[in-house]
Amino acid sequence: MSQVSVSERAAAAGEVPVTRARYFVRRKKGITPRSIAVLVFLTICALFFCVPLYVVVVTSFKTMDQIREGAIFTLPHIWTLEAWDHAWNHACSGIKCDGLKVGFWNSVSILFPSLILSISLAMVTGFALALWNVRWAGGFLFLLFICAFVPFQIIMYPLIVMTTTTKIYGTLWAVAVIHAVLAMPVLTLIFRNYYKDIPTEIMSAAMMDSGSFWRIFFEIIVPMSGNILIVVLILQITSIWNDYLIGVTFGGLTGQPMTVNLANLITISTGTTNYAHNMAAALLTAIPPLVVYFLVGKLFVQGVTAGAIKG
Amino acid sequence: MRWSRIAPQLALTPALAITAVAFVGSIGWTIYLSFTRSRRLPEYGIDWSEWGRQYDRLFRDAGWEISLRNLIVLGLGSALAIVFGFILAAMIDKEKRGESFFRTVFLYPLAVSLIVTGAAWRWILNPTLGAQSFLRSLGWEVDFNWLAQGDTAMYAIILASVWQSAGFYMALMLAGLKGINTEIWSAAKLDGVPLWRVYIEIIIPMMKFTFITCAILLSLGVIKAYDVVVAMTNGGPGQSTWVPAYFTINALSAKSNLGYASAAAVMMLVITLVVFIPLVALTVWQQRKREATR
Repeated sequence: MSQVSVSERAAAAGEVPVTRARYFVRRKKGITPRSIAVLVFLTICALFFCVPLYVVVVTSFKTMDQIREGAIFTLPHIWTLEAWDHAWNHACSGIKCDGLKVGFWNSVSILFPSLILSISLAMVTGFALALWNVRWAGGFLFLLFICAFVPFQIIMYPLIVMTTTTKIYGTLWAVAVIHAVLAMPVLTLIFRNYYKDIPTEIMSAAMMDSGSFWRIFFEIIVPMSGNILIVVLILQITSIWNDYLIGVTFGGLTGQPMTVNLANLITISTGTTNYAHNMAAALLTAIPPLVVYFLVGKLFVQGVTAGAIKG
Repeated sequence: MRWSRIAPQLALTPALAITAVAFVGSIGWTIYLSFTRSRRLPEYGIDWSEWGRQYDRLFRDAGWEISLRNLIVLGLGSALAIVFGFILAAMIDKEKRGESFFRTVFLYPLAVSLIVTGAAWRWILNPTLGAQSFLRSLGWEVDFNWLAQGDTAMYAIILASVWQSAGFYMALMLAGLKGINTEIWSAAKLDGVPLWRVYIEIIIPMMKFTFITCAILLSLGVIKAYDVVVAMTNGGPGQSTWVPAYFTINALSAKSNLGYASAAAVMMLVITLVVFIPLVALTVWQQRKREATR
């Protein structure tokens, strides 16, 4: 199908370096003035990219007295965990001051059901569309491709009404379900693209053997999906954890994920702002996806490029 | 044998139901609401003599005009991320040393929520305690107080979004560069063509699909930009950093004007389609080309 070739090409993007890696080991180069200039430039850019992280980390360990001195780039005189403790246990979000730990556990409770729902739904749908002769599969795929691009605002109000009538609005469940719904088109396209390359011999042998949709799915397809599952898992973990809009729209007052707490904290306009608290809160929110990123960097690239159209 | 035909159709029902209800039906619902006079609660009667009143008001709304202008500013500004991404990718590709290190560093912002990104840049751009006061204490008279002034606040948002997304375009460009035949380099070297001319005259034209893909992904991202605006400025000062996504949600939640918000959402969909149609045309065209070369 032509419609999905963008995500397909993008998904292939992350794999290319692996194949080339062997290739340039053979080519040895001396250090020329040009490569020194290039490396210096790249290093300066790398420093620019690290500045915000550095500033956030050092600020979160400072005392407010030192922050008031105005030297944003200096290291803390006294390293203190006070800001971290405050952000985790006492930071205010709205009228409640129970810290970001509330949002953290909310985010965790949103993440897991949402992962299971979105990935299992997309796997089954992708499998059915890729390997079974469904007559309207082409048209449906095109529709899914369009849905993947639709701005959230155009379906926002109807979804609010639907979650309200089913009495889940304002709960963690609403946020988790909406995440799964919105991710369905893109994830289905990703899985369908992966499954359509499964050799027809395997499928026809399986058809001869049992011919049952669910048996083929669980005994052959699921064990073959390891690679794509990890990529999709990383994509979904980061996008669900980092989401703000869905959390703030459907979470009400009790189902707010961590990003919403953080946004409330940093945009508060009354009283004096304690930047150490804000930066510790920002870091706490950033740590889980960063850990995923530094553990499985290369797969992360594949994940984000595959899901790029999701935006 | 009959079950083998029914089971896949049954397995597709949830996805079909979601597409029909949450996407197609909901889009239709919102389009319908945009023609009604709904305010806080939906009203389903349409007054046909003035069915376009929400759109009339929208096009005369100064806030909407600002949002559209900011959308273009943000789009042009964020395009820097593509340029920056290409330069980084070209350098990494040519140099090879430290490739995985630089890739890791340039991509990490993408793993972080835009709310966190906004929090960090908001703090760095703080006029009294942030980078400005630090650089001034070193004797440099710089003016970084972008967030407090309406005409510069968009620059701060552009800075944060470029920082966040440049690594992503670098990764796409790097993949594109790796697909280029290496013989081009040796041929150019033999002919004595300077490197920058090889890039401008050969490499960039060869990578036009990568560039177009990047441009489309960027435009779609810009239309959806919301989190970064909330975290950096919350739309302020005044209305100076409103974008369509912010305008629409503000009309719905702060102003409780459902019909008006629906009209704005429909306009967002129209803008998305304008970007989306070339994408479909492009992929179809590319597919034909690939089949032709086969």
